[in-house]
Amino acid sequence: MAVRVADTRRRPEVSIGGEAGRILRNLDYVLLGAVAALVAYGLWVLASVSRNDVPGDPDFFLVRQSVNVAIGVAVLALTTALNPELYRRLRVPLYAAALILLAIVFVADQVRGTRRWIDIGFFQFQPSEIGKALLILVLAGFLADRARRLDEWGTTMGAVGLAAVPAVLVFLEPDLGTALVYVAILGAALFVAGTRWLHLATLATVGVLTVVSLFWLFPAVGIQVLEEYQIERLTGFLDPDHDPDGATYNVTQSITAVGSGGLDGRGVEGATQTNMNYLPEHSTDFIFSSLAEQRGFFGAALLLLLYGLVVWRAIRTIALAPSLFTAIVAGAIVVAFVFQVFVNVGMTIGVAPITGIPLPFVSYGGSSMLVTLGLIGLLQAIHVRGRLALER
Amino acid sequence: MSARVVNRRVRLLVAAFALCFAVVLVRAGWLQAVRAGDLDRLAASQHRETITIPARRGSILDRTGVELAIGERAITVYANPRQIEDPRAVAFEAGKALDIAPAKLVAILADRSKGFVYLARKADAGAAEELQEQGIVGLGFYPEERRTYPLRNVAAEVVGYAGTENRGLAGLELALDKTLAGTDGEKTIVRDPLGNELNVVDESEAVDGRDVRLTIDNTLQRHVERVLAETRERWNAKATTAVVLDPRTGGILAMGVEPGFDANRFPNVPRDRQRNRAVTDTFEPGSTFKVVTVSAALETGMVTPRTRYTLPDTIEVADRVISDAVPRGTEEFTVSEIISRSSNVGTITLALGLGRTKLAEWIEKFGFGRPTGIEYPGETEGIVVPPELWSGSTIGNVPIGHGIAVTPLQMAQVYGAIANDGVAMPPRLVESVAGEEPKPVEGSRIVSEETAAAVTRMLRGVVSAGSGVEAAVPGYRVAGKTGTAAKPDPIEGGYSDTRYVASFAGFAPADNPRFVVLVTVDEPSGTIWGGTAAAPAFREIATFALQYLRVPPDVPAELPVAP
Repeated sequence: MAVRVADTRRRPEVSIGGEAGRILRNLDYVLLGAVAALVAYGLWVLASVSRNDVPGDPDFFLVRQSVNVAIGVAVLALTTALNPELYRRLRVPLYAAALILLAIVFVADQVRGTRRWIDIGFFQFQPSEIGKALLILVLAGFLADRARRLDEWGTTMGAVGLAAVPAVLVFLEPDLGTALVYVAILGAALFVAGTRWLHLATLATVGVLTVVSLFWLFPAVGIQVLEEYQIERLTGFLDPDHDPDGATYNVTQSITAVGSGGLDGRGVEGATQTNMNYLPEHSTDFIFSSLAEQRGFFGAALLLLLYGLVVWRAIRTIALAPSLFTAIVAGAIVVAFVFQVFVNVGMTIGVAPITGIPLPFVSYGGSSMLVTLGLIGLLQAIHVRGRLALER
Repeated sequence: MSARVVNRRVRLLVAAFALCFAVVLVRAGWLQAVRAGDLDRLAASQHRETITIPARRGSILDRTGVELAIGERAITVYANPRQIEDPRAVAFEAGKALDIAPAKLVAILADRSKGFVYLARKADAGAAEELQEQGIVGLGFYPEERRTYPLRNVAAEVVGYAGTENRGLAGLELALDKTLAGTDGEKTIVRDPLGNELNVVDESEAVDGRDVRLTIDNTLQRHVERVLAETRERWNAKATTAVVLDPRTGGILAMGVEPGFDANRFPNVPRDRQRNRAVTDTFEPGSTFKVVTVSAALETGMVTPRTRYTLPDTIEVADRVISDAVPRGTEEFTVSEIISRSSNVGTITLALGLGRTKLAEWIEKFGFGRPTGIEYPGETEGIVVPPELWSGSTIGNVPIGHGIAVTPLQMAQVYGAIANDGVAMPPRLVESVAGEEPKPVEGSRIVSEETAAAVTRMLRGVVSAGSGVEAAVPGYRVAGKTGTAAKPDPIEGGYSDTRYVASFAGFAPADNPRFVVLVTVDEPSGTIWGGTAAAPAFREIATFALQYLRVPPDVPAELPVAP
């Protein structure tokens, strides 16, 4: 093929041949390095904040998260190797798989009043996480197919419909945070695909009206779509002192933890908010607060810097994408990633509502780690194909 | 879709992301650089808590070991209104258990702006425990010590009371607060968010307060209070006061005021009813004061008990004319008779002989014009005009107990000195602290044994045949003196001609006195005389005390009382 010819002609001295060689030569090593650094930093942070969580086993979370990382790296390798266009062809079965997985949780057992996991023996799997990836691929495929009809309302509403079904299922688990990630993915896909501003503005308006209705109008006339506790948590960040022992307990404790870390942190032993469990969920949702408490502003800023590096490389990949499909995929991935980072970090410092969104690469959790690393692999695959396309 | 559009939109994304990064970094910087100090303290304060370990407050006992003030187990009930789902139902249950109107509690429990409210401080332990067993969510309980006064009114003015915080507020509870209170301990503990104690960082143990044993005898005290109440009722008096002290030690056996109050209900009692008038209030003593003048005249050698004076029934001093209480012709009086017949003219004659300077010296020597030093808060020193400020007529007032203000305790101390062979013992209320007796105090000799004996004989005459016959106790030799004085009129100026203080001071048995009793009756109606209003009260008290103290009679009952 032309590609192979171009390749060997340009770099005749490189002896690695075949598909693997082409992939390895065209990987984004900066992205790979940034992700490796993030994963390593995330493991170190998790090890530090969870030392006192399981009595007698300070490495409990570290060991398990390391296994997650190992599996995640395998997933990353796989998604890097596969040609992303493959997903475009498979989008109908992928969509069906996503809906089936999301539906299964409703017949599974409840955990703490929510249905989020599928228990497959050694591993509790969270379908809503892989649902993110599948939704990205399905939406990108749908929009790329209709590339010439993007101006039509039908296209936009079709995308909305495709996203709405899984988003509502996730919302009903209930997992509002992840449902919001789905909405962000929809927005990103439409935005990158080039949907008209009028459509985007209309959707945004409808979105705002929906939020207003859910939070204020419906409760005012007695219709409760959101549970009381959800409304309180979501709006609590606007007024954290409103009820520090109740709905906004988490925010108050989180802000206290972050602030008490100061510039250089209180260290592992001195971090009372984390060690004494004043800070809830500090291995998962509130891990950023624990990091900020133990390592201070510098430790937190280092994490943000690594995220910035990943985001930068991911954005480059959008521009490099060989097709509209891959561009949309890359765009949705980076938006979903950034959305999760900032909603999670924003929640811990009191500038975003409390939603149970994990912090990518850092929060303890297998599904999130696997899917995030898989999406990074997808970005690498797009990068590779883009580079190869340029060389052609 | 062109790559150009994609690129333009990607640039918008970059801008949005940059904004997010900036917001997060600025916010983190704000929290971790600017507010770090505050939040660090907040983090520290929420898991470290310093708890006071209350020291047990010492009990107050009477001389026989009966409890006058004790700490009783109580339970404080509090609530977190935010945890209370149905304030109405909780208020009903709590109100029923604690005997509080539920309507009052509903308002407190429904106030969700607070996370901690008291429902009842130091509630009855049994009632609170019953409520606790119901396991109502949002209610909390912690044990406390509640000060109670088991004998209620008995010696309430003396003991005083401690408040809700277990600090003495009045009386001996206040005066002896340091001794009784002990020292609270402190414990700094680290708690996890569920309130579990993780460890104790710092601990100092509580040092319990010490028990105080008083010189008061609750049996005598009760009797005294009963007599005072009866006397007050009998004469429809404003108030009655009595002091009973042991002249050999200065120990006060009883000290009563009527009307009294129940120390358990102190917040509802007007302050002026809580005063221990025997220590905090003064009165013009009248004739009981004459022993001072006569003792001085005897002690200086100016006269003997048998020295005779020829006295008309009036005497002119400066611009004033003072007369004896009972009109009579000019008669010859011995010094003894001046006392037993309570002659004003005779006493003033003796005082004129002494002169103002000498008399003033003796008044001071007997302890007037300064506090006795008793362990009681708010003791007043009385009012004694220094001789350089005396007017011409003062020498006609002061010797007979007018124009001078004294406390009942001061007057009791003077009679104690006479009873104790001339040696005054400083009065005291505390017998021992935690079993340790205080250093024995030296009394101070005021007059010679001979003078004291002579005055005692004169005072026996008062009771056997003079103005104080109502004070006589069959079978015992009793010494004493009546007193009657008009009260100053605060509105008209000068002295009232309707409002008097009647009093009686005396001791028994006269030859070997076991106690001194001073009784004052404030504003009796129907009589003004100490011999009528106060002397019977003295007799009642002395009769009981002599029997209670198992003092053998010193006069055969069938013989007439010796003159």
